Amino acid sequence: MSWIKDIFRRRSIYGDLSEEIRLHIEERTEQFMGDGMSRKEAEQAARRAFGNRTVIEERSREVWHWPALESIWVDVRFALRQLRNSPGFAITVVLSLTLGLGANTTIFTFVNALLLRAPAIADAGHLVEVMEHNAKASGIEAYQPFSYPGYTMIRDHNHTLSGFASFDGDPRTVSWSHDGQGQMVFGQLVSRNFFSVLGVDPNIGRFFADNEDKNGPGQPTVVISYSFWQRQFGGDRSILGRALDLNGAGYTVIGVTPPTFTGILIGSRPDFWTPLAMTPTLIHDPDRMGSDTSYWLLGIGRLKPGISKNEAQADLTVLTRSMNSSNPKEPALDASAFPVQLVPSPFRGYVAAFTGLLMAAVGLVLLIACANATNLVLARATARRRELAVRSALGASRFRIIRQALTESLMLSMLGGAGGLFVAYWSIPALLSFKPATIPVSIEAPLDWRVFAFAFVASLLSGIAFGVIPALRSTRRDLIPGLKDERQLAGPRRSRLRGSIVVAQITVCLVLLISAALCVRSLLNARSIDPGFSTHNIAVAHLDPGSLGYTKAQNQQFYQQLLDRVRALPRVRSASLSDYLLLGTSRLVHDVQIEGVNPPPGQDAIPLQVAYVAPDFFNTMGIPVLNGHEFSSQDTQPGVRKVIINQAMAAHYWPGRNPIGQHFKDEKESVEIVGVVKTGKYRSLGEGPLDFMYLPLGPRSEEFLVVQTRAGEEAALRDIRRVILNLDPNVVPMEMETISQYMALPLFAAHT
Amino acid sequence: MPVVNKPMTNSNARDLFPGALEMMILESLRRQPAHGYALVQHIQQRSNNLLQVEEGSLYPALQRLLKAKLVKAEWGVSATNRRVRNYQITPTGLRHLEAEITSFERMFEGIALVLNAGKSTAN
Repeated sequence: MSWIKDIFRRRSIYGDLSEEIRLHIEERTEQFMGDGMSRKEAEQAARRAFGNRTVIEERSREVWHWPALESIWVDVRFALRQLRNSPGFAITVVLSLTLGLGANTTIFTFVNALLLRAPAIADAGHLVEVMEHNAKASGIEAYQPFSYPGYTMIRDHNHTLSGFASFDGDPRTVSWSHDGQGQMVFGQLVSRNFFSVLGVDPNIGRFFADNEDKNGPGQPTVVISYSFWQRQFGGDRSILGRALDLNGAGYTVIGVTPPTFTGILIGSRPDFWTPLAMTPTLIHDPDRMGSDTSYWLLGIGRLKPGISKNEAQADLTVLTRSMNSSNPKEPALDASAFPVQLVPSPFRGYVAAFTGLLMAAVGLVLLIACANATNLVLARATARRRELAVRSALGASRFRIIRQALTESLMLSMLGGAGGLFVAYWSIPALLSFKPATIPVSIEAPLDWRVFAFAFVASLLSGIAFGVIPALRSTRRDLIPGLKDERQLAGPRRSRLRGSIVVAQITVCLVLLISAALCVRSLLNARSIDPGFSTHNIAVAHLDPGSLGYTKAQNQQFYQQLLDRVRALPRVRSASLSDYLLLGTSRLVHDVQIEGVNPPPGQDAIPLQVAYVAPDFFNTMGIPVLNGHEFSSQDTQPGVRKVIINQAMAAHYWPGRNPIGQHFKDEKESVEIVGVVKTGKYRSLGEGPLDFMYLPLGPRSEEFLVVQTRAGEEAALRDIRRVILNLDPNVVPMEMETISQYMALPLFAAHT
Repeated sequence: MPVVNKPMTNSNARDLFPGALEMMILESLRRQPAHGYALVQHIQQRSNNLLQVEEGSLYPALQRLLKAKLVKAEWGVSATNRRVRNYQITPTGLRHLEAEITSFERMFEGIALVLNAGKSTAN
């Protein structure tokens, strides 16, 4: 960029030039003196021969100017003076643009974070994410992760990938015991070649050795994330070789990831990674690794040189088809390979639709802001008629005046854009903080160069949008009335223009108001939907002492003590346990057979969603028992086969009859109905009545504690937390919230 | 009609066409490096004083050439022991000069043809 250098070199260039010219005249003078002139005559003659020195020097300097830029600078300074002279106008326009551009920049920052940013992986172009794909299904439902045997088969038998890694798509909530207390951290199970396939190098230490998976679990090891290392250990390098107590087992830290690597899926930022071989130890699920019907692993492959994504997909499809042919009940699945992105391809459409809607809404807000600014600028142009007329009369071209006017509006819009960036900078952390801390999702939405570019372009466009019409208008007019300072106000044409801008503004406002009102109404509607349980004075805690290695007996003792102590709290009315909460995200389905009822075509049983609940569950949750009774403590004994069904199921299979005492087969075992409860909402607030069955809860590790409190759920939550801490300080509740906090997610889902 | 200026009175003077001065400077510098004063002398002598450029008009042209990196300048001492700023043509300048001369000659040829054709039909 030599012109930049030229700008800085100008002073010396001009100095050289003056000196050179001085020496030239001096030489000429001496020449004339040599011809016999007096010094004075010679000097005058030399100057004459040289010409107008000032003009010549000026013209020589101009060669180094950047005329367009410098006259723009003049415009900018003039515009700044103008705006300083009318601060009220400037502040109004800038503020309204700040709002419009701020909303746009904020939403765009999320679009950028979700759809545009790439994972911090070198050479991501040669990586593919792989899932199984059911060609007969559509949407997200069609995609399925791999089982561990499925993954290893593909890893060992493909011809198109130089490496095939996999990871557990669900981040695991893990209790990290240190200093006598448990703390909730997030971990991810990955294949040992995970980092080498991604091409990520450790910040310090090493990553997992590729061959270790085959040799059994071996010594438990973890790689920790850079931010976890900084946050918890202050970046202490002696962390290498130390052991972390995670879910009751010691894991040696062998490495730290580089600061840029935060995982490859948006939302999941694990604190640590540990090999898949640790699955039984970490999540106490000994069968998962061997099962070919647990689908939980997302695949990541590095393409061999010269292999395209589609070639790899065809190669892997051959393998997935052969894999599933051993199990005739499962449909044959293809392999689907897509680029490694923070939001994987199958989900991008949904994300794009949602964020596109938001962008459209804030785009309308910006439109209003621009219309507003146009009106203000037009009003000001009326006030400045005389000034413009004088400038035209003095010879300013129309283009020059339009350029000046545009400079002014661009200055305003750039100020608005800068304000908008500030708005985004402050509002994004605020928006992100609305997410409950217990949801293991963290979204990084940085203001990177794309956001700055967006803010710049949006400001530029809005500046032109609200500047051009007034600029054209103010220059298309007779000079004479303006010069005469006639106070004749806006003619009919102009009032029509301003009128139509106001009309457009009101229209867009109305559209926005109506859509906002619709959103609020659907939110209120969702709130007014009866979820089938009480939404007041209930506290819930999600616990899993089994993750600390509790035995079955220890689990049972823990929960019994917990229930006893919680029930004894003064703020607590009743307390119970379940393995499921209504409107929860997990789903357990049993096969049932009912005499005289035909199962759906192609199946030999009726699929039915079920949940396990302890005695007093319905009372605590405020779910009315319509017929029969709740489970008693005898019902939870092994061998007793009693169930409670909901009203929808009773009406569906035993219409007009009393279902109490009826028998049917649950998972091929005969069970007896002892109660009928009110139908609730199980999957989403918008669903119709679904059949549902409750079974007595036996001892297990992962449970929800539900507590009905007297007034003040928050205080009750604190009491309950203390009880848990006293029982075992290492048990960390995965979620611990009031029922209204719990309802935030289903409500959010319902009104979007 | 003459294409270049004759030393007439000022009112009858004609501007050089754009680029002519630069071309002459480059041509002079190709023969030998020189400072501004020497360049003026050289151009006036070579043109048999047919061309009387204002001495100063050389300097904007020199600055343009400097900016385009067709010449480079260095402070030094002349043969007559004066402090001077010496200009030298650069390789880019040489190439530029060749191209300019070619295109100038073709233009001149074209103009001459048209003018002569006018004469011959008039006869």
